[in-house]
Amino acid sequence: MNLLFGLSPFLAVGVGALLLMLAEAFGKPNVAPGVETTDAGAGRAGELALGAAVILVIGAVLSVAVWVAGPESLPELTQVAPHLVIDKFTLFFSFTLCVGGALAALLAGGYLPEHGIDRSEFFPLLLLSTVGAMALSAAGDLLTLFVALETMSLGVYSLIGLRRGSPRAAEAALKYFLLGSFAAAIMLFGLALLYGATGHTDLAGIGAAVRSIGSPGSTVSAGKILISLVLVLVGLAFKVSAVPFHQWTPDAYEGAPTPAATYMAVAVKSAAFAVLLRVLLVGFGDERLASWGAGWPPALAVLAVLSMTVANLVAGRQESVKRMLAYSSIAHAGYALVGVVAAMRSPEAVSAVAFYLLAYTVSTAGAFGALILCGSRGAEAVSYEDLAGVGKRHPAAALAFSLFLFSLAGLPPTAGFFGKLYVFRTAIDSGLYTLAILGLVNSVIGAYYYLRVMVYLYMREPAPGAPRAVTMRSGFVATALVAAAIFVLLLGMAPGFTLDMASGAALTAR
Amino acid sequence: MSELVQVYLPMFLVFAVGAAIVAVFWLGGHYLGPKNPNPEKLQPYECGNDSDGARGVRMSVKFYLTAILFVVFDIEAVFIYPWAVLFKGLGWTGFLTMLAFIAALLVALAYCWKKGALEWES
Amino acid sequence: MTPGGYFFGVCAVVAVLGALATISARNPIRGAMGLLATIVGIAGMYVQLSAQFLAAIQLIVYAGAVVVLFVFVIMLLGPDAHGADGGKRPGSWARWIAAPLVSVLLLGGAVLLARVSTPQRFRAAPPGHGTIEAVGGDVFGRALVPFELSTALLIVAAVGAIAIARSRATKPSERPASVGATRRLFGGAIHPRDARTVDDEVAR
Repeated sequence: MNLLFGLSPFLAVGVGALLLMLAEAFGKPNVAPGVETTDAGAGRAGELALGAAVILVIGAVLSVAVWVAGPESLPELTQVAPHLVIDKFTLFFSFTLCVGGALAALLAGGYLPEHGIDRSEFFPLLLLSTVGAMALSAAGDLLTLFVALETMSLGVYSLIGLRRGSPRAAEAALKYFLLGSFAAAIMLFGLALLYGATGHTDLAGIGAAVRSIGSPGSTVSAGKILISLVLVLVGLAFKVSAVPFHQWTPDAYEGAPTPAATYMAVAVKSAAFAVLLRVLLVGFGDERLASWGAGWPPALAVLAVLSMTVANLVAGRQESVKRMLAYSSIAHAGYALVGVVAAMRSPEAVSAVAFYLLAYTVSTAGAFGALILCGSRGAEAVSYEDLAGVGKRHPAAALAFSLFLFSLAGLPPTAGFFGKLYVFRTAIDSGLYTLAILGLVNSVIGAYYYLRVMVYLYMREPAPGAPRAVTMRSGFVATALVAAAIFVLLLGMAPGFTLDMASGAALTAR
Repeated sequence: MSELVQVYLPMFLVFAVGAAIVAVFWLGGHYLGPKNPNPEKLQPYECGNDSDGARGVRMSVKFYLTAILFVVFDIEAVFIYPWAVLFKGLGWTGFLTMLAFIAALLVALAYCWKKGALEWES
Repeated sequence: MTPGGYFFGVCAVVAVLGALATISARNPIRGAMGLLATIVGIAGMYVQLSAQFLAAIQLIVYAGAVVVLFVFVIMLLGPDAHGADGGKRPGSWARWIAAPLVSVLLLGGAVLLARVSTPQRFRAAPPGHGTIEAVGGDVFGRALVPFELSTALLIVAAVGAIAIARSRATKPSERPASVGATRRLFGGAIHPRDARTVDDEVAR
């Protein structure tokens, strides 16, 4: 019974996905009289979105419940370890993932019908992919890790390609699929090498084997460990879209339906960071590897600096807001990587990254949602010009957009401010002054292109004769925006509670 | 290691003999058969205009869907096979495990069915 | 040489030749057949590594199902999907210069590594390691969680395939003419930056 309770967040989303599939396939299509369809899901995006969001909210609530009960007081959970490690770290991330997924589902409930994408498969795919993401954040074993990674990725590949007939969607899906499979293959090679070198598939066993290198009687070869570390890092850097493994990101985000891009930006990235932290700290947590002199911290530091700098410089030159948000997600991967580097010295850095990702999830989902709200059928808001004058025509959408951009830029009193504050503070506490300063400089550069959106929202008028984006009305999108805004403000005004939870997550990751 | 090879050697020989027979017939037909092509003979059997356009027929995407569903359920069968071998030893736990696995995939099958993925004409 | 050595040699030659055929064949069907040879060769190696069950699965699933899937996809794309111009393709420098160069570098690196360092052996698996009982014992014992998780993977593959590949049977409903429709008629989406329509879902 305790086992079921401990696993309940996963079971709720998994069983919920199956129920939603049945509901989708066996329901009654909701189409105008006279229209014939063989697809039971036709025209039912709204109710399915609601169902998916409810299931994910239940998952989030159960994550909190298991958190409050304390996973350490449930000894039965060791039965599923190390395949699923249910600790506070996992629960914090599964909460973040459920929230991100629920926001994406709500956005899809408004976006898909508005833009005539009658694809009710979106919602089962979203839920199944979230199951994979949650399992990924819990994976303490290479087998689970890979199965979960593929479950998450396959769902996302299909979500991107849903808009059949659009060459750009096909290009986006194909690009992400090919590069993603390639990265997964590289990573799988690294995992196989790791198993061959250590004889363990569980991360704790691998960590112990790595620590034994150099001690008499150890047969573990340092060379193989290093090669597998590089391969695994490449695979995960692709998933978090860190420069230079980011080239797919703008095209994939731009071609995907916006809710799918939202899901990619928030859930895939958070889950990849969760597994990155666990693999590095548990599997490669040896002092010699997790040190500034050798091992992963310098490599990740380079990735972090590159991601922040390149993404911020390129983002400022984008004409499409969606592409700008894609580059912004790359830059945020860079900021979070600063925290991952700091995690080699301070356990608090893990909680800082966890908090940062929650803040990033709600802010990014909100920003994409506000962008959805600024467009309507046949006239999706894409470029900066499309947003001109929205501040007057639809003040609420513009206000929400501004709030989420403030949060992404890291201005108080929003969630993003405290996220950045904690990450950079742990970096300074760990003595990584250069990284912290580079991060701060980049935050200032980043503010430029976020503020540019606000300039268009409030200070520009659409050029006469230019097609003007008409804002849409949707209760789903509005609900998602309100929920995200509450999170952003709550985390920004009273971050203490969430940070306490996140710091609980830190202790158990190691 | 070598004893394993000895166990599988007959199987390997069957493969080798099969491949050899195919190769002999194929190459034999290729080299021994009489060939005297001339322009008349090389023309496609078609009257009227010279043929134009794509050479083949593009297959329907339905084949792909059928094939991938086959792969999915084929893998299900792969998991069932060792389970069946170990069935007695696994007891009720094993039974319930497989029940959950099959039930979940049954939902997937029902989904495919209802969505018309198994229908050829639609 | 031991019989095991000969066996390994044959399997390796079949696998490598198949791999070469896979990447160099002009006709994609031949490429798929090359892949088939590689898969069979590797299955032979699995037998030698005492992974008998895996070898059988390799033949049943990969050779039996996955290659068939590849062939379907190749036929799906049609015979003209490759090299219709027949002449130089932009990829040909990669084919004749870059790819051999990388191969030679990799081979050289492997030879160099084998020369300078003592070869490190991975621990050999015990003979009973890959029988169906042993694999089943692992799947239904130690690895129960990933096994149950693989249901999610299988289901997501099926649902994703349906979402991507199944044609719609919904007849298009009447919608008021939208900006997107006019843009499509008069030039359509031009530049990604300029494209402000996502109204290109084709109702089938």
